[in-house]
Amino acid sequence: MSEEQIHNLRNEALSLIMGTTTQEELENLRINYLGRQGKINQATAELKNLPAEKKSVVGKIINDAKVAIENALFAQKEKLSTKDGQTTWFDPTIPSVQPQRGHLHLVTYAIEEISQIFNHLGFVRVRYPEVEWDWFAFESLNMPASHPARDEWETFFVDTKSHPKYGNMVLTPHTSSGQVREMERVKMPPIRMINIAKCYRRQSDVSHVPMFHQFEGLVVDKDISIVHLKGTLDYFARRFFGASRKIRLRPYHFQFTEPSFEVDVSCGVCNGSGCKLCKAGWLELGGAGMVHPNVLTNGGIDPSKFCGFAFGWGVERTFMMKAGIKIDDIRILYNADLRFLKQF
Amino acid sequence: MDIKVPDSWLREYLETPAKPSQIAQYLSLCGPSVERVNKVGKDFVYEIEVTTNRVDSAGIFGIAREAAAILPRFNLSAKLIPPKVLSRHSFASSVDYLKVKIDHSLCQRFTAVLIKDVQIKPSPEWMVDRLRKVGVKVINNVVDISNYLMYGLGQPTHTFDYDKIKNSIMILRPAKKGEKIITLDGKSHTLPGGDIIIVDGSGRLIDLAGIMGGQNSAVDNTTKNVLLFVQHYNPTQIRKTVMSLAYRTDAATLFEKDLDPEGVTPTIQTGIELLEKLTGGKAEDKILDLYPYPYQVKKINITLDFIQTRLGINITKNELSKILLSLGFENKWSGGKLEVDVPSWRSNDVNISEDILEEVARLYGYHNLPSQIMPGIIPEPPEVTPFAYELKVKQLLKGWGAVEVYTSSLVPQNFIGKDIALKLKNPLGKEGEYLRISLEPSLLTAAKQNSRATNPFHLIEIANVYLPAQAGLPRKGDLPEEKMMLAGITAGFPFTQTKGLVEVLLAELNMEADFIPANNGAIIKQGKTVLGQLKVIDDARIYYEFDMATLRNLSKPFSTFHPIPKYPGQIEDLSAIFPSRSLVGKVIKAISALDPQIADFQLIDTYENSKTFRVVYQNPDKTLTDNEVAKIRGKVIKTLANKFGARIK
Repeated sequence: MSEEQIHNLRNEALSLIMGTTTQEELENLRINYLGRQGKINQATAELKNLPAEKKSVVGKIINDAKVAIENALFAQKEKLSTKDGQTTWFDPTIPSVQPQRGHLHLVTYAIEEISQIFNHLGFVRVRYPEVEWDWFAFESLNMPASHPARDEWETFFVDTKSHPKYGNMVLTPHTSSGQVREMERVKMPPIRMINIAKCYRRQSDVSHVPMFHQFEGLVVDKDISIVHLKGTLDYFARRFFGASRKIRLRPYHFQFTEPSFEVDVSCGVCNGSGCKLCKAGWLELGGAGMVHPNVLTNGGIDPSKFCGFAFGWGVERTFMMKAGIKIDDIRILYNADLRFLKQF
Repeated sequence: MDIKVPDSWLREYLETPAKPSQIAQYLSLCGPSVERVNKVGKDFVYEIEVTTNRVDSAGIFGIAREAAAILPRFNLSAKLIPPKVLSRHSFASSVDYLKVKIDHSLCQRFTAVLIKDVQIKPSPEWMVDRLRKVGVKVINNVVDISNYLMYGLGQPTHTFDYDKIKNSIMILRPAKKGEKIITLDGKSHTLPGGDIIIVDGSGRLIDLAGIMGGQNSAVDNTTKNVLLFVQHYNPTQIRKTVMSLAYRTDAATLFEKDLDPEGVTPTIQTGIELLEKLTGGKAEDKILDLYPYPYQVKKINITLDFIQTRLGINITKNELSKILLSLGFENKWSGGKLEVDVPSWRSNDVNISEDILEEVARLYGYHNLPSQIMPGIIPEPPEVTPFAYELKVKQLLKGWGAVEVYTSSLVPQNFIGKDIALKLKNPLGKEGEYLRISLEPSLLTAAKQNSRATNPFHLIEIANVYLPAQAGLPRKGDLPEEKMMLAGITAGFPFTQTKGLVEVLLAELNMEADFIPANNGAIIKQGKTVLGQLKVIDDARIYYEFDMATLRNLSKPFSTFHPIPKYPGQIEDLSAIFPSRSLVGKVIKAISALDPQIADFQLIDTYENSKTFRVVYQNPDKTLTDNEVAKIRGKVIKTLANKFGARIK
């Protein structure tokens, strides 16, 4: 085979390859030219008939033609596959490039959800001092200085002079200290307050943190009854925990409410039939009661004309009961470990 | 306070077919909360929480009294069986076996009786069983009876070895400061003064009354004659002594809550009966009883309307009366008014109409009341509240990858340094002695805690700092200023990125900010007002903080509208070489303000002291000609040269 013939073979192959419209045609061409019995192999086989001085020259030309055909086949194959709509190879399982993801704290989510629910009932959100006078934290709430009931609040005292009228400076151990402050702000009922703030108690173990959050509801108006307290807390429980959840009241005692209640919510795990997580179908939420007339008087409101109810619960505790998040040591909430914070 | 009540002991005072599980459930719904019922052998032991106001039910008889009123509400019959009263003994204001002198302001009722010829020995099995179930150590028949009376009837008692009371004389008086006593448990106390004590004829302190007896007058194995002692003590004084000695006993916990002085009578009578039966002793016929002001029945008037309005339902007069009577409150209707007699055991917790309401409501059953949201006017919210704004800031920062932390407001001394901060009188430990005055140390600690994190991170917190009253602001002797701060710390971010975060935040809040160079960072101002600061802490960490109130007051709710330009601008790049240590922010600010037709002026490249800026020349009303652009460009170049010493390349 002459050099000229090999050139022709090469040109013929390239033009045929470029003219193909399907993969099948292309494959036939490949077999025809590069297959074992293909034209390139035939040309190579004929090399032995050439004189020695010609062999290497023609051999090189054959090889060049082979490479050119291979490249053309590859390029056409790519071209055809795109044309066929099968497009280029695409892997959707590849790891992505993400924007940095931020995280708000559990307590922020809880506070928002709680305040939204009470907002629907016309409750006004407020926040009162965390560093507070004894008067607002205890005395005005019907707890005189030596009262044994005070023992239940493990109170932090600030090392400073006491106020001539308001007594010692304390870290407020509950949001109830906002009750009289709200009465003083509003002056004339109606009052529907939701006070969410940091509170402090002198205790630290797996279920207590020295700094925590409470939400306090206070309603003062004419003719407010226990039925209204139940209605409000029922509404909260349904919205916060789920439509099938119920609350119940049991007798309890607080100096600043009369009557006073312990509020339970039906267990979401067993739906009230009793299980390992709950006490006979119920979980303790927290305290509530009808505002004691002395507290109204201390807030400048006439208890013969107005009455009301109040409740104050732990934000962290209530949220965990909802989410079913089991945290074996609550103190982790106030620890800045990213491995924890990034989970929410 | 939590008490243990064995079912077998309860049924000594209560006749009912109710099962322990029913008793537990119904008591919890209408009375004291039964936290747990434990099976002990064939018996059950209730663990009951008694609230501080209900010391009358802090004993097995008291629980029986509650159960007898509550169980019938659930259609279970229940009858209270009161302790037996013996007729042989009489109460007298003087006896020949004991001479006493009493300060009645400390002791409202004083009773004592002498039991002769007792035989000290172990208690019988039934008593041992009951005491063990309530968790009391068994000692001997005399001491055990004393405990049995306290846990059974809720009234503490004491037994003296009569022969150790010198001259059979007792003087009850307030202690002088510094007087000393060794109590039964061998502990020595130096009294703060005012404490209720008893001294005998030789002047020895023999009793720290209401708290624990003295060692020198205690019953021991050789005791022959016992003086049984049942009193009512001044609750405030008992509590004072308990608090200042930091020494508490079960008896003191009861006394400090103001016990029923009428409860003394059945207690001393039951005590005599048990002592005679279990020790073989013989009681004197006369019981010494000094009770100058016996209980006068307290009366409370309520109306049907009051109960119905507060309860929210129309309870009948008859049901109301019946409920009150079942709890021992005698009552009498006249028209719509009800006169209620408060029984002695409830006299310290029932004082006003609301207290009567509570009794009615709990027995009626809170679970039987309907639920309804109150009607009425919805109150006006305060005009300005910070909550929505705080959430917006948090959410913006979260969107840019920040992670929110809540760190403790209580911090160690080294977080305060030499500044003034409020200190706690009773901190839990060195880690939380002070109220923080800055979020910086807290966030730096939080960042360090995560130093192993492989990727750069950004922590934020919105929380109060507590700035104590000082000369100036706020007033001295006032509460500290609680200032809500936003703080953030980045770790592994270049300075430009952290600054960028701060800038886009302020832009989102529709604010403008200048970064004024300051030590290791910048003070951030809008006009003349300081908004916050940015601070490079080390190679990796950059801190920033803002006063939330200032941000909120200055940020506009909406951005200003600028019409979209109708005519295209002309864009060109200018490069200039600046002297070392030039502040590029100042250059940009100056040039941007140079001519209203400079629509934009941005730094696009920096190489050593050479800076390249992209300038957009634009006029809202026309397309600028080359000549006009050249004029503005001339002003730019002149300013760069004259004001900043820059040389155009």
